Amino acid sequence: MESCAQKKAYKAKDYKSDLKPIWCPGCGDYTVLNSITRALAELALPPEEVAVVSGIGCSSRIPAYTSVYGFHGVHGRALPVATGLKLARPDLTVLVTGGDGDGFSIGGNHFLHACRRNVDLTYIVMDNQVYGMTKGQASPTTSPDWEGSKLTPEGTGINPFQPLVVGLASGANFIARVSASDPINMAQIIVEAIRHPGFSLVQVLSPCVTFRPEQAEWRDIVRTAVVDYTDDAARAARRLMTDDGFNVGKVLFKGSRPPFRPEFEHTDGSVAELEARFAL
Amino acid sequence: MSDTQANTAIDSLPELLAHALAMETEAAERYEELADQMETHRKAGVAAIFRRLEKEEKAHLVELNEMCSRYELPHYAPWDFKWATGESPEAIAIDQVSYKLSVRGAVELALVHERRACDFYAGIAQRASDDEVRILASQFAAEEREHIGWLESCLADCGPDDGAIDDPDPPLSQE
Ligand SMILES: Cc1ncc(C[n+]2csc(CCOP(=O)(O)OP(=O)(O)O)c2C)c(N)n1
Ligand code: SF4
Ligand SMILES: [Mg+2]
Repeated sequence: MESCAQKKAYKAKDYKSDLKPIWCPGCGDYTVLNSITRALAELALPPEEVAVVSGIGCSSRIPAYTSVYGFHGVHGRALPVATGLKLARPDLTVLVTGGDGDGFSIGGNHFLHACRRNVDLTYIVMDNQVYGMTKGQASPTTSPDWEGSKLTPEGTGINPFQPLVVGLASGANFIARVSASDPINMAQIIVEAIRHPGFSLVQVLSPCVTFRPEQAEWRDIVRTAVVDYTDDAARAARRLMTDDGFNVGKVLFKGSRPPFRPEFEHTDGSVAELEARFAL
Repeated sequence: MSDTQANTAIDSLPELLAHALAMETEAAERYEELADQMETHRKAGVAAIFRRLEKEEKAHLVELNEMCSRYELPHYAPWDFKWATGESPEAIAIDQVSYKLSVRGAVELALVHERRACDFYAGIAQRASDDEVRILASQFAAEEREHIGWLESCLADCGPDDGAIDDPDPPLSQE
């Protein structure tokens, strides 16, 4: 609790647009939107100093539902767009939001390099282990025996992608997993993720109640991780090796690698000057 | 202490008002969110229940805001409020609803949460040592009882079902 003098000027609602979300009732993405807006209010960030960038998918609709700057981009390309934005406008707080399909299939390569590059971004992935928007196909994080899609009637038979392991190995500077069933904890972790310099990865277990109705059980399956974060990547990796994907609610890893922040020579910002710099 | 009462004592007027303001704001916004969701999904009957509750909460908020403007309220981070529950007790968790929710199911869900809100204030009234806090918390609990009364009468008018309707047109996975 803070003193009255430090009372915050923004409410969570100030970060919502007038557009009404069209997600299915009960979808975890509603909770993620609420946790993001709560986090921004707690950080008291003026809306004009924040941008949310996304790709395509149900989860990628978040920028439309916020009042901050938004870019609803091309499928799988949220991270390169956000990287460019942050480098051009380092004064902005840049969040990237999207799904497991957007981030780890079509955008998988960008994910690796965004972690490696360590630009100061906060990447919030709503992982529902399915392509929700295109009506329920297996995604990279789907378990091999899920038979819910007619495209993979006997399951994919392929080991799921491990976002946190890959993120850690690729250089992400902050790693956490949260559950959509605990919006207040999620808001707290998003605040920490935004505050931490460099590339922050937050995996949200966000049920798709329509194409994965069994994910409603996640609420009862998840458990609060027992150990606090480490700054030792090897130790974090060992923890992830014995992790079943349902330890949530705490930061797993906070690194100290300095963010990638190239200094550009002062320019007048004109296109002609840019062309001159890149002329062969 | 019941699981819906404050997890530590609230014993000053500014503390009580800060909690009441957060709880009523969240309840109003959540009812609005749920009414919007249900309208988007052509669930007019269920939407009407949530819309009516949104209006009630907003009317209550006008008075509450007026009262709060006379005090310096402490700031709480969302995770510092003294709720025994994760979100504030009156806010229906998003994952409790579905497009299959019936009118009866919506009324029952709202009843649970209005009772939680009432318990929260009643618990403060019971335990506070400050007279002003006790009186105001009792008044807030009585206001919640009005919502409970309205919902109970709605429930009496609802036909029997198990809170969810059958889906004649379930989601089809794309081939
Ligand atoms: C280039 C391109 N390829 C494919 C698609 C079709 N598409 C739209 S959303 C989507 C998957 C979305 O899955 P995910 O990112 O997990 O989001 P969710 O809907 O589950 O939140 C696909 C394959 C597209 N829009 N653009
Ligand atoms: S299809 Fe799934 S992910 Fe998309 S809005 Fe509906 S519940 Fe959410
Ligand atoms: Mg998905």
